[in-house]
Amino acid sequence: MSSRALSEPAPPIRTRRSGRFRLARISWTWPALLFLAVFFVVPLGANVLRSVTGPETAAHGIFAYYTKLLTDAYYAGILIETFRVATVTTLVCLLVGYPVSYFMVRYAGRWNGLIVFCLIAPLLTSIIMRTFGWNVLFARRGLFNTWLVQSGLIDRPLDILNQPVMVYIGLVHVLAPFMVLSITSVLQGVDVRLEESARILGAGKIATFLRITLPLSLDGIATGCILVFVLTNGSFLTMLLLGGGKVTTLSLLIYQQFNLTQDVAFAAAMGNVLLLFALVCLALQARFVRREGVKQ
Amino acid sequence: MSASVPLRLESVSKSFGDVQALKPLSLHVRAGEMLALLGPSGCGKTTTLRIIAGFEMPETGSVFIGERDVTELPPNKRALGMVFQNYSLFPHMTVAENIAFGLKMRGVGAADRLARVRQMLGLVRLAQFEDRSVHQLSGGQQQRVALARSLVTDPAILLLDEPLGALDKNLRERMQFELREIQRRLGITSILVTHDQEEALTMSDRVAVMSEGEIVQIGTPTEVYERPRTRFVSEFLGTANIFEGIVKGEAGAGEWTVALDRGGEARLAGDSGLATGRRVSFAVRPERLRIGPPSGSALMAKVQDVVFRGSYYAYELVVAGQDEPVFIYTQSRATVPADGMVGLSWSAQSAILLGERPSP
Ligand SMILES: Nc1ncnc2c1ncn2[C@@H]1O[C@H](COP(=O)(O)OP(=O)(O)OP(=O)(O)O)[C@@H](O)[C@H]1O
Ligand SMILES: [Mg+2]
Repeated sequence: MSSRALSEPAPPIRTRRSGRFRLARISWTWPALLFLAVFFVVPLGANVLRSVTGPETAAHGIFAYYTKLLTDAYYAGILIETFRVATVTTLVCLLVGYPVSYFMVRYAGRWNGLIVFCLIAPLLTSIIMRTFGWNVLFARRGLFNTWLVQSGLIDRPLDILNQPVMVYIGLVHVLAPFMVLSITSVLQGVDVRLEESARILGAGKIATFLRITLPLSLDGIATGCILVFVLTNGSFLTMLLLGGGKVTTLSLLIYQQFNLTQDVAFAAAMGNVLLLFALVCLALQARFVRREGVKQ
Repeated sequence: MSASVPLRLESVSKSFGDVQALKPLSLHVRAGEMLALLGPSGCGKTTTLRIIAGFEMPETGSVFIGERDVTELPPNKRALGMVFQNYSLFPHMTVAENIAFGLKMRGVGAADRLARVRQMLGLVRLAQFEDRSVHQLSGGQQQRVALARSLVTDPAILLLDEPLGALDKNLRERMQFELREIQRRLGITSILVTHDQEEALTMSDRVAVMSEGEIVQIGTPTEVYERPRTRFVSEFLGTANIFEGIVKGEAGAGEWTVALDRGGEARLAGDSGLATGRRVSFAVRPERLRIGPPSGSALMAKVQDVVFRGSYYAYELVVAGQDEPVFIYTQSRATVPADGMVGLSWSAQSAILLGERPSP
């Protein structure tokens, strides 16, 4: 019995099966790769091509549109404006978001779910509904103005709805959750006992925050900032619908070039510049966000 | 090194919601001693330590360090050192930066800091690890960095919350020894929280046994081990065989005869004034029980199992009519007849009378 078992060659089940399994794993990614190729890589390539073959390139060289974008005072101004809106939005999101994250991780306990829901809620409402909501709140006879006038802080209602600040309010409202969730995920890995160790070692609350909590949550801050920055650069509906059209950024301009002016080549060039912005941000993230070392 | 100071808790209590974590508890830790807080999980050891550290505010009572009432002081003003179970080293700092942190917070200059850090690294024998990242250290090394970090500021009191809990057995034994050695050398008043009775007994000058938010007994390791006052303490500090019976009468100087519930008679030393007819329960440590021939022994028992444990043999026996087995540890193998029936005996001195208090 045992000698027969020994003399039989071992069937190569293991190797054959694992080989087939590995093969299958690679082939399973084909649909996704195909999808990406057709709907992502090809259009991007086409866009690059479009930006260097438009009508103006014949006269002013293949980088004509890029040169125009960077040197023309109006367009350069918009580039700067884009950068400014994104930076300000990111900073405001950070200032608003960090305390929320900290509260969620350290104190919220079972209220955590509710807070996350409240954070996500604005993302589930369409921009039209949100705009309408802002109108109700901030119109000349809206809640906010009525309250300010009645409390005697101002004499006449403010025209908030048509101010650039409205764009920032709108952006922060939708983008802050990304900041909060990024920071929260990292902050959750920062053991409270690290903060307690610092306290015992003589650090006050502020020193503990600055020397322990903040450095250990930098990864989350970086991820959140890059996310918000890139997303701000990409939004145009908020600029279109809020603030009375006073804030024009690159993405809004692209939208206008495509749909109103129909200067497709110029729009493509702007798109590529915006894409470059995003790529630089992602490269920064890959370079500086360590994603390690926080959890012991 | 500053002079050792005592620590005093006076009727400190704390509850979380409707869980009473600490019933009013008083504790006096003498200057320079190492006191172990020993007890099962959830008995309030960590809570006690966190109140001393200032992370939790007691509902009643006060905490005194030396003569000073520190109940209202925040943790950073209490001049304490603390080692956590997972060490809690700052992951974004090197070994030297970790140790220097407390000095930096106290505004010690860079040159002095470096000198003190080097001195501490020498104390915990990690001199060549100064610039290592804490991720590159083994568990034992991290533990020593944590110890150095807590000692560098010359704290008045050292708090140790299961400091060796995360180490494997061999390393733990070595570190117990090392930690104790350093604590003695510095003469720093220390509180060691542990649920490992062996650790508590080997490392501390005194042991406070806790149960359900109270200190049930406090004394030297020998006292709490040899003279536990309750069944809980006797069972928590190592294996204890519990016997019950009725006092029959006095049998000479400070000894009483007890008629055991499971047959036979035994002697019990100690407490004067044991009234005849009173029900008593007492404990006998496994190493104090002797296996002998059935005749002339207090109890009859049947050997169930014998295990060699390296330095001793552990016998498991059953006494007729008793659910819990009896354990005996002996240095040499006993002669057991074929039917397994043996007699158990012990000296009157090794029978520990247990208090009335019902055990949990
Ligand atoms: N922050 C808290 N919130 C609610 N209950 C708590 C809190 N901290 C402790 N408790 C409760 O208080 C009691 C004592 O807890 P404690 O942490 O002091 O126990 P312990 O003796 O340290 O136990 P272990 O050996 O498991 O660490 C437990 O019942 C615990 O559930
Ligand atoms: Mg504990």
